Amino acid sequence: MSDGNGIKRRDFLKVLGVSSAGASLVGCSTDEVEKLLPYVVPPEDITPGVATWYTTVCQECSAGCGMWVRTREGRVVKVEGNPAHDISGGALCARGHSSLQGLYNPDRFAGPMVREGGVLRATTWAEAEQLLANRLAAAGSSLFITGDAGPSLADVVDRFVAATGGSRVRYGGVSEAPLREAARIAFGRDEVPSYDMEQAKFIVSFGADFLEGWLSPVEHGRGFARMHGVDHGEKGRMAFVGPRLSLTGQNADDWYPVAPGSEALVALAMANVISGGGASAGPYASVVNGHTPESVAEATGVSAEAIRELARRFGSDGSSLALGPGVAGQHRNATASNLAVLILNAVAGNVGRTLHFRDADLSAPSAPYADIAGAIGRMSGAVVLVHGCNPAYTLPAATGFDAAFASADFRVSFASAPDETTATADLILPDTHFLEAWGDSNPRPGIYALQQPAMQAVPLFDSKQAGDVLLSVASTMGQALGAASFYEHLRTRWEGVQAQTRTGGDFETFWRSALKDGVVRVDGSGPEATSLRMPDTALVFDVPAFDGSASDPILMVYPSARFGDGALNGNRPWLHELPDPVSKITWHSWVELHPHTAERMGLVEGDIVTVASPHGSVTLPLWPYPGVREDVVAIAMGGGHTNAGRFANGNGVNAMDLLPAVIEAPSGALVHMATRASVTPTGERRRMASISGSEDQDDRNITPAVALTALGHAADEAEGDHGPRRELQGIGGFVPVETDGEPQDFPLPGTEYGPYADAKNLPRWAMAVDLDKCTGCSACITACQAENNVAWVGEGQVQMGRDMMWIRLERYYEHIDATKASHVDVRRMMMICQHCGNAPCESVCPVYATYHTPEGLNAQIYNRCVGTRYCLNNCPYKVRVFNWYEYNGQEPVFEGMGYAPEPMNWQFNPDVTVRTNGIMEKCSFCIHRIKDAQHRAAIDGGQVTDAAVVPACSQSCPAEAIVFGNIRDPESRVAQLAGDERSYRVLDEVVNTQPAVNYLKKVTFHDVESGAH
Amino acid sequence: MSTATETPRGALAHPDVTSYSDVNRDVLRPLGKPGKGWWILFGIAILGLGVFFTSWGFQIVKGIGVTGLTSPVGWGVYITTFVFWVGIAHSGTLISAILFLFRAPWRQSIYRAAEAMTVFAVMTAGLFPLIHVGRVWHAYWLIPYPNSRFLWPNFRSPLVWDVFAVTTYFTVSAVFFYLGAIPDLAAARDRATGLRKKLYKVISIGWRGTDREWHHFSKAYIFLAALATPLVLSVHSVVSWDFAVGIVPGWHATIFAPYFVAGAIFSGVAMVITLTVPMRKAFGLEAYLTPKHYDAMAKLCLLTSMIVLYAYLSEFFMAWYSGEPAERGVFWNRLFGEWWWAGWIMLTCNGLIPIMLWFKRVRLSIPALFVISIFINIGMWFERYVIIVTSLSHEYEPFAWGVYRPSLTEMGILVGSFAWFGFWFLLFTRLIPPIAIAELKEVLPAPLRPNAVVAEGGEA
Repeated sequence: MSDGNGIKRRDFLKVLGVSSAGASLVGCSTDEVEKLLPYVVPPEDITPGVATWYTTVCQECSAGCGMWVRTREGRVVKVEGNPAHDISGGALCARGHSSLQGLYNPDRFAGPMVREGGVLRATTWAEAEQLLANRLAAAGSSLFITGDAGPSLADVVDRFVAATGGSRVRYGGVSEAPLREAARIAFGRDEVPSYDMEQAKFIVSFGADFLEGWLSPVEHGRGFARMHGVDHGEKGRMAFVGPRLSLTGQNADDWYPVAPGSEALVALAMANVISGGGASAGPYASVVNGHTPESVAEATGVSAEAIRELARRFGSDGSSLALGPGVAGQHRNATASNLAVLILNAVAGNVGRTLHFRDADLSAPSAPYADIAGAIGRMSGAVVLVHGCNPAYTLPAATGFDAAFASADFRVSFASAPDETTATADLILPDTHFLEAWGDSNPRPGIYALQQPAMQAVPLFDSKQAGDVLLSVASTMGQALGAASFYEHLRTRWEGVQAQTRTGGDFETFWRSALKDGVVRVDGSGPEATSLRMPDTALVFDVPAFDGSASDPILMVYPSARFGDGALNGNRPWLHELPDPVSKITWHSWVELHPHTAERMGLVEGDIVTVASPHGSVTLPLWPYPGVREDVVAIAMGGGHTNAGRFANGNGVNAMDLLPAVIEAPSGALVHMATRASVTPTGERRRMASISGSEDQDDRNITPAVALTALGHAADEAEGDHGPRRELQGIGGFVPVETDGEPQDFPLPGTEYGPYADAKNLPRWAMAVDLDKCTGCSACITACQAENNVAWVGEGQVQMGRDMMWIRLERYYEHIDATKASHVDVRRMMMICQHCGNAPCESVCPVYATYHTPEGLNAQIYNRCVGTRYCLNNCPYKVRVFNWYEYNGQEPVFEGMGYAPEPMNWQFNPDVTVRTNGIMEKCSFCIHRIKDAQHRAAIDGGQVTDAAVVPACSQSCPAEAIVFGNIRDPESRVAQLAGDERSYRVLDEVVNTQPAVNYLKKVTFHDVESGAH
Repeated sequence: MSTATETPRGALAHPDVTSYSDVNRDVLRPLGKPGKGWWILFGIAILGLGVFFTSWGFQIVKGIGVTGLTSPVGWGVYITTFVFWVGIAHSGTLISAILFLFRAPWRQSIYRAAEAMTVFAVMTAGLFPLIHVGRVWHAYWLIPYPNSRFLWPNFRSPLVWDVFAVTTYFTVSAVFFYLGAIPDLAAARDRATGLRKKLYKVISIGWRGTDREWHHFSKAYIFLAALATPLVLSVHSVVSWDFAVGIVPGWHATIFAPYFVAGAIFSGVAMVITLTVPMRKAFGLEAYLTPKHYDAMAKLCLLTSMIVLYAYLSEFFMAWYSGEPAERGVFWNRLFGEWWWAGWIMLTCNGLIPIMLWFKRVRLSIPALFVISIFINIGMWFERYVIIVTSLSHEYEPFAWGVYRPSLTEMGILVGSFAWFGFWFLLFTRLIPPIAIAELKEVLPAPLRPNAVVAEGGEA
């Protein structure tokens, strides 16, 4: 048939078949073909697939935590604490993690804007700078309002206002002015002291929320956990004195629910007891002498015996420390309260021991409200420039800022994204985000850190660093400020830092090492204040007056644990969706009332009420909270944005609207606790966007506790944590195996075949979470979200219970009593996938989308999942979360739902799959990090050590409560912790799941059995 | 299988029916031109189908999130309705196979309708696993087939057992239904004209009614009946294992298989009553579906109701007796929790109302039975709802407790599933003789009158 040459018919058909099959395969692909452009000249510091890390400084609050920034292919994808930095010590808070969403905020200004006819119009930088120069030259005066600016930027601003004939006003929504003023009065030091919690045995917080936002939460979290976490049968104790249990208060061992404003009386009475009637109180002897526990008992609402007991502990438990009062307690006598607490510290001998002035907190926001109140009076006809703050939002409406700002001649904002202040600004000169810019920080004497751009400024937004803008405008006006660029200015100033270090040598080498290490230490501590001075100001320590009707509860407006004052971080879905550590509510605002008060008013959770003070009113839902006094109504700051971007606007209410414009004398701070407020039901009700199911453990013993006195007698308690030997179904489900069910036993005897054959050399990854250390700060949740591309879902979805967080930080009340001084027992549980050895989810998945890896991980194969949700049903821990919709698209599936518009999707971690609609996901123990460590070990020929594998949550934990490692290695920290007498595994007794997560029980000072119910 | 010449085996008397031709006339009457009522019902069914497919399509396009499902309640109305329809599917095979093997005499009048109901109910139920998965376009991964990924489904998963149970049950009940209908289809063929005749010609596969054919038919029928009988027990046992194999408190109970089978028969028989009462009226089949038939079905309902009630009570007792807080919590929640009313509907409809069936007067009253049967249908739907939703919403972890509120889409699909079922059932009443002609004739007295000979020819 064939002549032997050319193509045979069969061959032709074969070729035809193959090529058409190939064509149809290509045709099958549903994805668009993307154009890939390879690097023509590859950049030196970018290796595709390998992360490059940069050091920088977090600018989210004033604490000045050192940061490591992880970049992939030139994009920032994650931030972590710099372990070498003194403040962060490797950890970071949730707000710090969320700075990524500030960088990739889709609502950032596309470029400089100028307002013409009431509408913002895009302009060029040259035009904008020229315009500013012209207006400054024409106007008689200028006012420059700045927020937290690094020292070098502040220096440029100071030079700029000096050169252009203006003045600079510092402003921040939260201010520590009363503390600073009190320190000045008591010790002659106009500084905020630093607190060494680790050294204290007993801490009394007078309403200072040091775990949430007060001064330096990450550093305090670490110090507190080290002090308060049990170690060799000893642990420090903490008492909370204040009208509302904040997150810090929930971590206390005892609560003294004092009347609002009476903290000073308690502190003085304690000082009275300790000093034996005030003898050792120096110039304050008479003040202390006048406040006996008996005399203050009525005003504070705490019995004299309780105060005596507190004082006895404070004076005798070794080194102690009194903190506060915090921002929430800034009432009309705030400086006096701070002074009273400093007197107490001095009397107890804590100054120089746990409270230091030699390394004072330079970064603590001191900007008193009085300054900006003065500026408000001078705004008319002036050029007003605003940088790094949002006074139109954070100042109470009663201050009249809006009207004064409107009366200004020309309003300039350096905000990179819209806020309430830019809503009326005439010129917007968008600053770069701190992850894109140069800068520096000096959080306390002797500690310097550089802020360096970790990536090229996001090209979608034509931003320019404020420092450069100011230098450029000044030179347009013919004023040379000494440097051509801010970078140059920074380097010049850092030559001074190098000089201080007295290291000498080449500046370039110093500069590079400063950038590499992320911190420079100079022996720069100042002198220590030790003795009290005569007061130069007359102060009243009594309970202050409050506006409004005496029958109404006292209004407490406190900084949000997530947002702080919320000035510039309102447009971050991560923060909105992060459950508030106390209320577990997301997205919207709520008002806290004691359940008894709510009951008296006939109100239940979700009832929408109007809270009205003589100065304003807000309408928001009620959340009954046993942790507030019955005469207090509390609302968090940070909600109710009107012009802060698509995710912020309309969420919640701005509680600052309720406050009067009262200046505290003598510090000049804004009085936060100034007024009473009435609560009126509106008759409406809503479903709260809360993640909290039940606040009661309902006898399930999810988070048991053990009394400190019972430690060491665990065997006597016979709680049966490690039960009798049991049968367990072996791998394959058919072989019963005798085992104690210890995580180390995995894979179980008799089941070593296939990939398990060389089980001896396999690790079993496991975790230990010390619930005695966990403070509930929630940093792990946002860290996990950033690391693992965990979607946010939106308010409506959270309301339905569809939040996607891989970490559910549970909070159970065991004992909270707002009526008298007693112990506090709030239990926490960081609930994540337990990676059970005997996982109920695995056997029920019909398609093997979840299965066990030889290393003991419960793996989830996203692209295999068909979405039957049986695994979710069968998971006793309910840690599996389902993608009910596509939450990562460019558009929301429905209005208000989670999505990742350009450039928010730039943040996605390329090492982790971005999940799609209709599939299940859960904690993976950061399997990509495990694999990365294993690959590195394989390349380097070494062993995978515990230290090499750190999941994002553990990395981020300020309390160092999360330990990860190979539990089969008896030397590993996790194996040792798992062997601790406090170790237990949740529900293992009930459902025999053999979890890989070992929890260490909370340790209490009270007897658990009698205290729990 | 007996023949007409033998003594009828305890047949129920049909006093008004005297001849074979009457049977043919009466039973085949519905196959004629449909009346106004049928068209109205059919229109409603078509409308419901529109709702059904619109809702489903909306869900596929937008995501499974359009349901009210959430964490921790991963299953809700869909799985409830799936189990409900599987349950409904039970009585058909029970009546046609088990009662056939046990020679229960009252089954001939109802088994055809019951079998049709079975087939359509399984068809309805079978849609729900597809409806409820997150990625329906990958649902075929549950089916074991050799593939390039060398991946098999997880044979330990009850959902895979479900795939086998439901497909097997559907296959066998469909074959059984079709086989049993062949002689009657032939009877219809002999009466029909035009296009219908062609259709019946094909589907009656040349049935002539010869002795040899009857011989083979009866053998095949009895074999299939024997084959189908274990399935009646197995399919709902497997469905119950979806729950019992899970470790969810309120699901994890060994009682589930018998409890579910009893419940399935209970609901299935109730559904037969619900469906045949109007059918009997509309098509004038009162002579064939007599109160005595209903009395027998009511007794079956009563028996299964007692079993189900016993199961409920023993579950409550065991929950209390176990001392396990999660288990106790779930059962407490069933009576006094958020869905207390669903729990009480379940107890009232399935346990209390059927107590009336102890009274013969009630059993013989067709309107009363009809009303009771509807209550049972509602109660049995809620039984599954209560088992699924109350258990999932209050599990081991109190902080993870949640609330489930069914969405409009889920309601649309629930209502639409009845339309889907109704659509097929209405077509059935028009295309297939709703009562087994041949079997009915077996129990009639031998033909006496001359025109009976003609009728016998017609029957062939």
